[in-house]
Amino acid sequence: MIIAERKPIPKILRAIEPYERVLVLGCRGCVAICSAGGDREVEPVAAALRLARKRSGRPLTTGEATLIRQCDPEYLAPLREMAQDYEAVVSLACGVGVNLIADLFPEIRVYPGVDTTFYGANPALGEWQEKCRGCGDCILDITAGLCPIARCAKNLLNGPCGGSQGGRCEIRPEVPCVWHQIYERLSERGELERLMKFFPAKDWRPAGHGGPRQRKREDLQLG
Amino acid sequence: MSVTIGILCCHYTNQAGEEDFRLIPGTVIVKRYPCSGHIEVVDILKTFEEGAEAVLVAGCEKESCHNLSGSSRAEKKVLGARKILEEIGLEGERVRFAFLPRLDTGPFMAEVKKTFETALKMKSKS
Amino acid sequence: MEPRSHLHRVLREGHFAVTAEIGPPKSADGEVVRRKARLVKGYVDAANITDCQTAIVRMSSIASAVLVMAEGVEPVIQMTCRDRNRIGMQADLLGAAALGVKNLLCITGDHQKFGNHPEAKGVFDLDSIQLLDMVRRMRDEGKFLCGEELTGARPGFFLGAAANPFADPFEFRVKRLAKKIAAGAEFIQTQIVYNVERFRRFMEMAREMGLTEKAYILAGITPPKSFGMARYMKYFVPGLDVPDEILKRMKEAKDKREEGIRLAVEIIQQVREIPGVAGVHIMAIEWEEAVPEIVKRAGLHPRPLEAEVRPPVVVEVEKPVERVEVIAPPKEEVPEEGPPKLEIPVEAVKEVFSTVRSSLESLREGVNLLYDSLMRLERALLGGEVVPAEAPEVPPPEVKPEEVAPPEEIKPEERPPEKEEVKPEEKPPVEEKVEVKEEKPPEKEKAVVEERPPVEEKPPVEEKPPVEEKPPVEEVPPVAPPEGVEILGFFGEYRDLSERAAGLPEELYKDPGTAYIREVEIGKGEKAFRVGGTNVLPFHLFEGEMRQVPRIAMEVLDVKPEGWPESLTKYFADVLGDPGAWAKKCVEVYGAEAICVYLMGTDPNYLDLDAKHAREVVEKVAQAVDVPLIIWGAGHAEKDVEVLREVVELVGDRGTVIGPVVEANHRTLGATAMGYGVPVVASSPIDVNLAKQLNILLENVGVALDKILMDPSIGALGYGLEYTYSVMERIRLAALYAQDDKLQVPFICNVGREVWKTKEAGLPSDETLGDQEVRGVLMEAITSVALALAGGDLFIMRHPKAIELTKTIISGLMQ
Repeated sequence: MIIAERKPIPKILRAIEPYERVLVLGCRGCVAICSAGGDREVEPVAAALRLARKRSGRPLTTGEATLIRQCDPEYLAPLREMAQDYEAVVSLACGVGVNLIADLFPEIRVYPGVDTTFYGANPALGEWQEKCRGCGDCILDITAGLCPIARCAKNLLNGPCGGSQGGRCEIRPEVPCVWHQIYERLSERGELERLMKFFPAKDWRPAGHGGPRQRKREDLQLG
Repeated sequence: MSVTIGILCCHYTNQAGEEDFRLIPGTVIVKRYPCSGHIEVVDILKTFEEGAEAVLVAGCEKESCHNLSGSSRAEKKVLGARKILEEIGLEGERVRFAFLPRLDTGPFMAEVKKTFETALKMKSKS
Repeated sequence: MEPRSHLHRVLREGHFAVTAEIGPPKSADGEVVRRKARLVKGYVDAANITDCQTAIVRMSSIASAVLVMAEGVEPVIQMTCRDRNRIGMQADLLGAAALGVKNLLCITGDHQKFGNHPEAKGVFDLDSIQLLDMVRRMRDEGKFLCGEELTGARPGFFLGAAANPFADPFEFRVKRLAKKIAAGAEFIQTQIVYNVERFRRFMEMAREMGLTEKAYILAGITPPKSFGMARYMKYFVPGLDVPDEILKRMKEAKDKREEGIRLAVEIIQQVREIPGVAGVHIMAIEWEEAVPEIVKRAGLHPRPLEAEVRPPVVVEVEKPVERVEVIAPPKEEVPEEGPPKLEIPVEAVKEVFSTVRSSLESLREGVNLLYDSLMRLERALLGGEVVPAEAPEVPPPEVKPEEVAPPEEIKPEERPPEKEEVKPEEKPPVEEKVEVKEEKPPEKEKAVVEERPPVEEKPPVEEKPPVEEKPPVEEVPPVAPPEGVEILGFFGEYRDLSERAAGLPEELYKDPGTAYIREVEIGKGEKAFRVGGTNVLPFHLFEGEMRQVPRIAMEVLDVKPEGWPESLTKYFADVLGDPGAWAKKCVEVYGAEAICVYLMGTDPNYLDLDAKHAREVVEKVAQAVDVPLIIWGAGHAEKDVEVLREVVELVGDRGTVIGPVVEANHRTLGATAMGYGVPVVASSPIDVNLAKQLNILLENVGVALDKILMDPSIGALGYGLEYTYSVMERIRLAALYAQDDKLQVPFICNVGREVWKTKEAGLPSDETLGDQEVRGVLMEAITSVALALAGGDLFIMRHPKAIELTKTIISGLMQ
């Protein structure tokens, strides 16, 4: 899922500084699952904003709502009406939601309430780890299912660098060296020769370096 | 100068009534919950919005929580609220958590008094 | 096929090759590169030019290579994958080839996290193996990575790669080497070899795979410059294997540099025996001077073939004609002639110098002894007044070991009677607490008492029998009455708390802390001392203990101070501007227990003197005194890193404290301090949380809490003293009573500087403000004493009288 993290309240306050009525808008998609922008986060963010503004002598009125998803136009449709009573919207969805609101409703001033961080898994309560970087050209078939693009600090494609020591990455000792893991996994399977193969320079266009990416599936398109 | 404090507590932490709270020379907002585990960060923040200078969150001692981990969760929620308070420039010490023996009003009121002292200190600072 | 480069030719003809490493400067000063090139010229077949090594921005490898060529040395440029994408890399390599560069080492590069721009976006478009493959195809197939043809000359690089036999997984290392060779590597330079056994196994595996037939393998060699550096490499450089034996040798060696060179030579000789090793790559980090020596001693000099390096035409833009002329006569230092002439003399001359130096050292010691005895004699004959401005205090007996014995023998005899007169019941506990340091004053007192019976202070002592041992201590001033400041001590009766509280249960008034402040060792060896180690608020000896007394270091400046009032400078008039003599005077005349060298002149906003200056200053001080040192940078986060790194190398071995470490440089200075195992001064702007945060940050980079002294940034009397007091007190309370373990660290207070820069310290004497000197002394002493009461453990002070006064009060409080 997409992992996000609540922005520090002062940053949100700065963005909505001129307004007196603001809608705090959550999303029940990824950000709800990773506890950054769902129903349970909308309320405290709104309360914190109100409390801070009250103490600064410029009370703020907030509305609170959470949509099923902010990345689909049909779920966003009610927003036009909802937002009428407010001068601005603070969206707790990932950057996708904020962008789509901005695309669809040019008249709505929308501000992000979270920082969108990475694609990750939730291996333990309260902890999320990056597992994929969406590089658009998956090589997990070669690397025993472990991604060196997302999980190696130098995105190496031809094995561990000289900083791999005792299975740990030189960047931070708590980070495992993913190439060491790949090596072990493949040697257990007797498939080490996969690593002996030269991995040529990667095409980074699918990773976004070829400009904004889009995907189309014609059989699903209407008209 | 009127000082307000908020008390969010598990119902089973005390039997304090109006008489008891009358001993506190200020306004006391009391919110009782069936278990402190039910108290959310937003409840704490809202109590501050209602004017509390300091808030006490009280739950049962760890081993005597009806719901096993309710009070431990509440303790963590207090940390969450504290983080937000500090972000917006309020002292973290304004909110505190206390593990209390069940249905014993004495220790509960002692914590309430401490909370009131904190509130006084905060009020005089600002 | 023609050899691709001189290095290639040397290797192909079967000679044992030697390459070295040149680190470009962090500036646009080309002369640095040229000088380094001249140092290694004639001793190496080629020199690598690092490419922003450890991700620290330096002059570019290619540009430096051009300068190196101009000095007649063949460069091996390095290119990392960290800073350029495939477009930038190919463009730069075409340019390098056009400039005449012939060797290229392809590496992935250290992660930007380790450098001075950790915020940078790492490129890593390619990895080192893909880079090799790309360049090989440009050279051999005349094609860019995209497949498009090069239109014209191809870059003819002799291609190299790095290999680390000491990283994990070990078995894969040789396979990865094979991958590099398959991708195009023709020569390999390995990570630094200290563990020759492991390297030998690596080479065996390489031979089995036939790799030594396909590529020339050069073993990496680095002479450790100091014990600290060896330790740093062992513990903090990922992918380096330094056996304990190497550390032990460096630790025990008298002459660290000599031992480092010896080690390097031994390792070269060992790896040379390993089949398949085609040469060595000497990386004398920031110590290029060592290269010729190593090459000579390893029997690798002279080099077999002379490089024909022609400076690229492009360089000559500025002064084309001159340059050509300069290049033409490199024969001036023809290697065949030069070395033989120099070789023997250098060794011999070195020896002569070191002999002369050590005789001078003993001579100096002798003179000191003489001087000392003379003073004693003079005093014995003429009474205390003889010693003019020189000695308000007798030189500390520890300075000359021989003299320690007699005074100690005398003391025990003389003391008891006096104690009996005073207050026998109270004495025993006091006596136990008295430390060596405190034995000096009584001795002094005795001398004075005997020699000058008519001294006025004597009567009061007799009149007040209940006074403790201390009053005598204050009798030092008679020595220097002309200077006007008299130091008096404690009077009055002290009744022990247990007596006063008789009948009350102890727990009513005793509330010791729940933890101890950590003890930090300052300095090494005999003169070392510790600070910290208390579990109670300062001087609350009735409820806990202070294992260490608060200590005072005297401050010495690296440059002649400006704007110091005369009441202060007169004590140092003869030594200002000579840090060595100054420090010596502080120790020998004023009895300083430690010296703080304040490198004020290195401040970019002041004189901006360089690290070399700092090094010289510290060297002088270090030679002049043997007490612990504190090296205090200018307080400029960036410059301090540069300066302190340079200096710590010199004095790291004696447990010298370095600082100030601030948040902005805590990583680099923290790592440096750890490398040398020295304590740091953690400076934060007077705030409980900031102080704590810095300690946490330092701990995160690995600095142990017992290597940290907190500098809370104090304010002088009248300039925020009360705020400092309050913050320090809160920190101490949190440490002792709130289990805040990150704050359980001693305080260091830089008092002298704050006090003597105040307006009041410098205003002339007048009726309202009183005598200038008394005023300054009191301001400094009051500041220190107040901060001692707040928890201060180590003070840096300036005025000898203020120090004396502070010591008197502290020792009074310690009873």
